[in-house]
Amino acid sequence: MLVSVVLENIRKIFPPNVVALDNISLEIGSSEFFVTLGPSGSGKTTLLRIIAGLERPTKGRVIIGDKVVVDAEKRIFVEPGERNIGMVFQNWALYPHMSVYDNIAFPLRIKKLPKQEIDRRVKEVAEALGIRELLNRKPSQISGGQQQRVAVARALVKQPDVLLLDEPFSNLDARIRVTAREFVREIQKTLGITTILVTHDQADAFAVGDRIMVLRDGEIQQVGTARQLYDEPVNLFVANFIGNPPMNIIKLIPAHPVIKALNLEDIVPKDDSLVYLGIRPDEAIATVEIDNAHIVGKTRIIEYVGARKYVKVEVEHGFSIKVLAGENVTENQKVGVLVRKVHVFNSKGARIESIVY
Amino acid sequence: MMRGPIKWLIVNVIAWIVGVLWIMPFVGIFMTSIRPFKEIVHGWWVFEEFHPTFSKYFEALFHPSYPLWRGLINSFIIVIPSTIIPLILAALAAYAFARFSFPIKNYLFLTMLFMMTVPQQMMIIPIFFMLHNMKLLNTYLGLILVHSSWGIPWITFFLRNYFTMLPTELEEAALVDGASYRQIFWRIVFPVALPGIVSAAVLQFAWVWNDFFFALMLIYDPKRMVATQILPLLKGQYHIDWGLLSAGSVMVMTVPVMVYALLHRYYVKGFTAWAIKK
Repeated sequence: MLVSVVLENIRKIFPPNVVALDNISLEIGSSEFFVTLGPSGSGKTTLLRIIAGLERPTKGRVIIGDKVVVDAEKRIFVEPGERNIGMVFQNWALYPHMSVYDNIAFPLRIKKLPKQEIDRRVKEVAEALGIRELLNRKPSQISGGQQQRVAVARALVKQPDVLLLDEPFSNLDARIRVTAREFVREIQKTLGITTILVTHDQADAFAVGDRIMVLRDGEIQQVGTARQLYDEPVNLFVANFIGNPPMNIIKLIPAHPVIKALNLEDIVPKDDSLVYLGIRPDEAIATVEIDNAHIVGKTRIIEYVGARKYVKVEVEHGFSIKVLAGENVTENQKVGVLVRKVHVFNSKGARIESIVY
Repeated sequence: MMRGPIKWLIVNVIAWIVGVLWIMPFVGIFMTSIRPFKEIVHGWWVFEEFHPTFSKYFEALFHPSYPLWRGLINSFIIVIPSTIIPLILAALAAYAFARFSFPIKNYLFLTMLFMMTVPQQMMIIPIFFMLHNMKLLNTYLGLILVHSSWGIPWITFFLRNYFTMLPTELEEAALVDGASYRQIFWRIVFPVALPGIVSAAVLQFAWVWNDFFFALMLIYDPKRMVATQILPLLKGQYHIDWGLLSAGSVMVMTVPVMVYALLHRYYVKGFTAWAIKK
């Protein structure tokens, strides 16, 4: 079944007064791969657990499909087992004393499906996920990547309406992570199952998500596609959190010469004491030609990242920024920085405008 | 500097001395049980003549008035239920204490812990009269009930602490899979907690097997006496046959040790380590 997930005014307070989630409202479309992204303590896992039914919201309600699964005010609560969801936990939570086959069969056995049906479904899912040969082994006898697939198999075998994933890639090494991401995305697209994934890694979010929600301290910062978050961040937090290497954030007074150099005098609010400029390392380049540059400075350290080189430039006005290193740029050299795009934020951190040169 | 090897030497010497001292009493008893009296009359460590024999073991087992074989069987009859019953009941209680919250939980737990400090000798009189009123004095059932009741508090405490160490994720996964708490307990928690449960079982077994006091107070028919009660009866009125007593003691002592050795591999902690990949 293709279902949507709707959250209305979800609020979660842990006693005595820790506000884990503050007024989260959101609508996840059916078959959408939705990612909740945020640092530790942002409330993202709590939100997922509330959707799963492992945690109860203090206020608000969750609707899966057309069924209200929890309503704090009306005291409605549907057990996790009745919500027709599948969940993959951060540490996979495979039952260690059972074989892979039994692990995957477990939810079906609880539902008391006939033996042949269980056998058929388990083998089908195992085949689809490429773990058919592992069915007789115990979780301790297979690798991390394989364990993850077993966890996904267990979640999918009961053909749930919604798939929930709690930081599924954090325990994998870098190489396997890339294949795992692709694998999860493919499965999701093939099955068309509404999926909600929680992560602190923005690369994961970008790799798999149709839409991404950035959470901070229990509050929604921004919800949008990867491109929207990258090109149009709504505030400093999102701007800094998304993108690697992180965006350079420069704190300046409105009358600062750099503002003039970048032709931003009209955009910068006059009545503000401060303004922030955001320049992504990939959107500015240091060159040996100083004449056409917006900013002049001296290079310090060059960082070689394979396909590109970054260099930290100490600008003559007293701050440093990391930008792309152009041809022939070396360390301890006087360079000019050509800015391709800059984001302007007011003193409260909200983005005013983004200028492309 | 020679600190490394010298330290190693000193540690080993001390360890060996302690080890040997520790094992001495058992060696002594064993020697006494297999050597004829005249050989050990000056001490079992005297080895001028050495003609070991197991005759004392048979004598103890098939003693005309107080045969140990019957005592051993009675001990088993008492111990096995007295281990299984409290283990199951306490495991259920421990799970409740570990995972759920209910109004008087903490008070209940503390009261239980507090009451455990009361010694057997203080409780025996009310227990005696209680069993008498229930017509369970001098019966297997009576003694089993007393041992089970005695075991429940400490096993609950022990297992509750063990359960709190188990990651909740396994149970949460089972909840999402649709399992009821009863299914979660028996299919997931109990098997995964097996090392802790087996540890508790072995301890309870040893405790009940070695019990003398409750048996002494509550069983007086010689046909129903347990092994620990039979042993002192092997003392003669005029002459103590040390060989006989030692043989009996060795047989009674060995049982818990063998239980421990047999179940040793269930202590292996490897189990829970694999539920959560670190």
